[in-house]
Amino acid sequence: MAANVYAQLVGLAAGVLLLTGVLLVWRRSLAASVRLLSVQGAALGALVAVIGVQHREAGLLAVAGLVVLLKAAVLPVLVGRSVPADAGREESPRLNPTAALIAAAVLTVVAYLVSRPIVGSSPDPAVRAVPVALALTLLGFLLLVGRRHALAQLVGFLVLDNGIAAVAFMTAGGLPLVVELGASLDVLLVVLILQVFSARMRVKFGALDLDELTELRD
Amino acid sequence: MTAVQVGLLSQVVLAAVAVAVALVVPAATRAVVAGVSCAAVSVAGAVTGALAMAGQAGSIRLPVALPVDPVAFAPDRLGGLFMLLASVVGVAVAVYGIGYVSGPSASRSSWAALAVFLVGLQLVAAAADVVSFLLAWELMAVGSTVLLLADHARRAEVTAATVWYAALTQLSFALLLAGFAVLTAASGGTGFDTIGSLRPHSAAASVGFVLLLLGFGTKAGLVPLHVWLPRAHPEAPSHVSAAMSAAMVSIGLYGVLLVCVRLLPGGPAWWGVLLAVLGAASALYGILQASVASDLKRLLAYSTTENVGLVVLALGTSVLLRASGATDVADAALTASLLLVVSHAAFKATLFLGAGAVLHATGERDLDRLGGLGTRMPWTGAAFGVASLGAAALPGTAGFVAEWTLLQALIHGARLGDPMVAVVMPLAVGVVALTTGLALLTFVKAYGIAFLARPRSTEADAAHEAGRTMTWPMLAGAAVVVALGLVPGPVAAALATTVGAAGIEPVGLGGIRLTGLNALLDPLALAVLAAAVALPVLVSVARAARRHPARATDLAWGCGGARVSPRMQYTATSYAEPLLRVFDDALQPTRDVEVTHATESRYLVQRVEYRQRLSDVVEVRLYRPVIGWADRVGVQARRLQNGSVHRYLGYSFGALLAVLLVVSL
Amino acid sequence: MTGQAILVAAVQVGVVVALAPVLAGVTRQTRARLEGRAGAGVWQPWRDLRKLVAKAPVRATGSGWLLRVAPVVLLSSSLLVAALLPLVGAVSLPLVPDDLFVVVSVLLVGTVAVALLGLDAGTAFGGMGSSRHMTIAALVEPTVLVAVYALSIPVGSSALSLIVQARLDSSAVIASPVSLLAVLALGIVVLAETGRLPVDNPSTHLELTMVHEAMLLEASARDLAWLELGSWVRLAALLGLVGNLVAPWGIDTRVSAAGLLLGVAALAGKLVVLGGLLGAAEVFLAKLRLFRVPELLAGSFVLAFLAVTASYLVG
Repeated sequence: MAANVYAQLVGLAAGVLLLTGVLLVWRRSLAASVRLLSVQGAALGALVAVIGVQHREAGLLAVAGLVVLLKAAVLPVLVGRSVPADAGREESPRLNPTAALIAAAVLTVVAYLVSRPIVGSSPDPAVRAVPVALALTLLGFLLLVGRRHALAQLVGFLVLDNGIAAVAFMTAGGLPLVVELGASLDVLLVVLILQVFSARMRVKFGALDLDELTELRD
Repeated sequence: MTAVQVGLLSQVVLAAVAVAVALVVPAATRAVVAGVSCAAVSVAGAVTGALAMAGQAGSIRLPVALPVDPVAFAPDRLGGLFMLLASVVGVAVAVYGIGYVSGPSASRSSWAALAVFLVGLQLVAAAADVVSFLLAWELMAVGSTVLLLADHARRAEVTAATVWYAALTQLSFALLLAGFAVLTAASGGTGFDTIGSLRPHSAAASVGFVLLLLGFGTKAGLVPLHVWLPRAHPEAPSHVSAAMSAAMVSIGLYGVLLVCVRLLPGGPAWWGVLLAVLGAASALYGILQASVASDLKRLLAYSTTENVGLVVLALGTSVLLRASGATDVADAALTASLLLVVSHAAFKATLFLGAGAVLHATGERDLDRLGGLGTRMPWTGAAFGVASLGAAALPGTAGFVAEWTLLQALIHGARLGDPMVAVVMPLAVGVVALTTGLALLTFVKAYGIAFLARPRSTEADAAHEAGRTMTWPMLAGAAVVVALGLVPGPVAAALATTVGAAGIEPVGLGGIRLTGLNALLDPLALAVLAAAVALPVLVSVARAARRHPARATDLAWGCGGARVSPRMQYTATSYAEPLLRVFDDALQPTRDVEVTHATESRYLVQRVEYRQRLSDVVEVRLYRPVIGWADRVGVQARRLQNGSVHRYLGYSFGALLAVLLVVSL
Repeated sequence: MTGQAILVAAVQVGVVVALAPVLAGVTRQTRARLEGRAGAGVWQPWRDLRKLVAKAPVRATGSGWLLRVAPVVLLSSSLLVAALLPLVGAVSLPLVPDDLFVVVSVLLVGTVAVALLGLDAGTAFGGMGSSRHMTIAALVEPTVLVAVYALSIPVGSSALSLIVQARLDSSAVIASPVSLLAVLALGIVVLAETGRLPVDNPSTHLELTMVHEAMLLEASARDLAWLELGSWVRLAALLGLVGNLVAPWGIDTRVSAAGLLLGVAALAGKLVVLGGLLGAAEVFLAKLRLFRVPELLAGSFVLAFLAVTASYLVG
């Protein structure tokens, strides 16, 4: 692959990752969040594939397939299935959307500043895009902190995971296949547990508002 | 004896004459005679300032027996600029005062204080060493405090405002004294040239810089030291508000410039970031408060904070960019800060004088009770309108030229290698843009609510145009706003020379070219182009008007009904309501809605009362706790001081013993 | 050089004035067809204008000089913008470069004129429209300037013709994340500035939901005609700019008769496509609540801001 095409493709994939991250902060509708999550997973897979083709590593291509399958299809479907039909949008997020968006802008700047030492003067476009992945991680945290709905928080968790995975792929050309497989299974497990948990919550409280859970009991 | 020397001496002599005249002349002719003599002080200042700005030298030395550098007044180019600026504002204010003053503000002490205030302002800019600077600075502070107090007997708010003002003036003086003391100790001299030899990267320089910045920032009205502005400006007589906002605040900014350009040039990058952060906070906070204010003079006062913020932001980016080696862009930013100062002085003086004329005519400064003044006070309306356009930075005015220069500097400041610069520049662009947008809303509101629509009170209905001594200074101010907006090139070039900035040249029909940045702005050419495209429109308007003359009708559109009561109109409060909701978290208004139900049924509403209070968040959150703490300390301290002579003598005795012991050890 | 630039500016003003009502017509017609109505045809706005100019204006007592002046100011500012922007040719006048800050401020002159017009007659609706209009205008400002900043970084200048020229020379720039984010942000801003859905509904008849229309309630006959034409020209010029940023092909860089003709045709094509898209999109969009608009604008600001940040990463 020509160097500039590679740079363009990495830039494009990173751009989509960041854009979906910001849109996730922006949109409050759960259904839209799930769709965005799936787009984000696809972008992450594309990024891995591009890096794999550039470095001529067949293993990475396999990982890319796995990422797309898991993050663009399985996880969004799993989360999407538990979105209740009547849950149109989250009416009152903890953080009002305007403030959350400004916070997202600030977090991106922070990511840019703190990733200076990692990026250094590396010529590799993938490494130069690390701030985007870091920003995605921070945005995931922002979602976790700023949302009330259990499923919206789950989405935040998955964004966080996407961010971490993106950092790994960009800096080191990815983790070994086994580690990646293990991590992915972990995430899958977490999602399944949380899904069961949220189903229990709905049975118990009739809602998924985490503000209900403020007391500790024996 | 050089011309500048003559000018400096004549200012002092004329000021003494003006004080004497104010004290001696009887009330009947006092306003005219004292006003003219105050104007003479400022005319002398203007001439001296212009000469100094052109590079002429001259100094007056005061004979003192202190072991310090010579105590001298010798304006350099930058000082000359600010002397000119303060003096021109002074002339307008003094002439305006002739027709404006009445009651307490026409007293002997007020006129004498005005003369002292004006000469103080002018001499601060001429000072060439610490001692003379502080001397003139105090002259300015004393004069302004007395002027502010004019109306204290009738209104309690005046006393409160003066207390705030005096306290912050003292704070400012203390900070300046400390800052200059640090610099003097480190450099070994009180002369500005001696201090200028100090290394800016030393620790002493940084301590001095921060102290001086806070001291001058207090005078200039930087957040969080701005709290005196929205109190003092509304309560002072309007010509004094104009002088305070346009001249005194500019002198505060002169202080900041003096530090950054003359005393400690080439400071480290963090100075720039500190300045930029303070400036951005002031700009945003000031304009937010201004946009929701309903008191016309309070609105203008907060807008002063905004403009000061922009100047300091420009200065900060200039320092930051110089530290990262981008000299041409830094020069452009520095010039932008001077352009902002000059344009602010021009439009803000006009706006305050206009607000004074409105107050004079209606006795109201609450926008919610004004309206329809445009037809009743055409000249004031015209001047206020033009100055509002300037404050909103629309093309064809001085404000636009200044903001354009600043924005050009900001977008060319992108330095990929330096992460600090890379982060500051886009944020600064965002801040400047939001400030501009909100300023637009603020001044559309100020002009539209006060001068358009129908009067909202009988006082506004009965308004009359101000006298000539009041309208002429306003119109002159408006003319300066337009002139600077249309032919900024020569002015910008002259301003650039006062701070040694390169790369700013006049071009075309009086436009500006920033050579290093490859950008140019020629407002007059733009105006010609605008006229060219407007011509066909005007021709077709004229043709259509000949064929189909307009018909008048009684009613405006009211959804099919007759909505004629002026109470149905939007007020300043309702105009800013959407914005207030958007920025609810930042402004924290308190609202009470009281609904009185009809006696027959609680589904029928008899009246609804809506009250909204806006207080200064910084004042409530920062100052109230400090004041409360100081009060408590004061109460504790009273125990030390109970009036017993024996106890006081005991303190002295104890102190003497302590000194003796310390000395012997 | 100057002569050529003046020629281009004159052509642009003429073409935009001719096309702006057609653009409005295309938008309305697309919307009508998609909603299953026959529609009035794309030439209806032109017929409306002709009718309005030939009527005697009715002016309420209490409305002053502004009712006469503001429409002319709005139209002139829109025409000036059309003359400055690189629409048909990417050539700028030597003394009046198409600097984006200047263009934005000229647009603001029109905005302010209309806002003052809303306050002039002293009616409740006028004030309401004016207040909302200015609130939106104030919040739009940061996005515009930051998006411009992002676009200007690769070129090192805020002159639009240089930006468009650079995109024409290396079309790879167009698909870069920086440019996509910035153009997306600019697109949202254009919708807000020109009073389209989802910020303002141009075809509403309910005064309480109006923004732009509420300020024009007092205007009639030729006053209304100038106001309408002014807003259409503004829409056409801004859409033309977005079109030229997304697809700069066809714009004339070396002024020649054939090039100008091609430029005019390309501009007309882009405007028709964008107008159709706008009309189609408006079928699916509902008007946002007024207090949700700041969210939209904050979102567009973040996009513009990310564009700047991204330009450091890519650049």
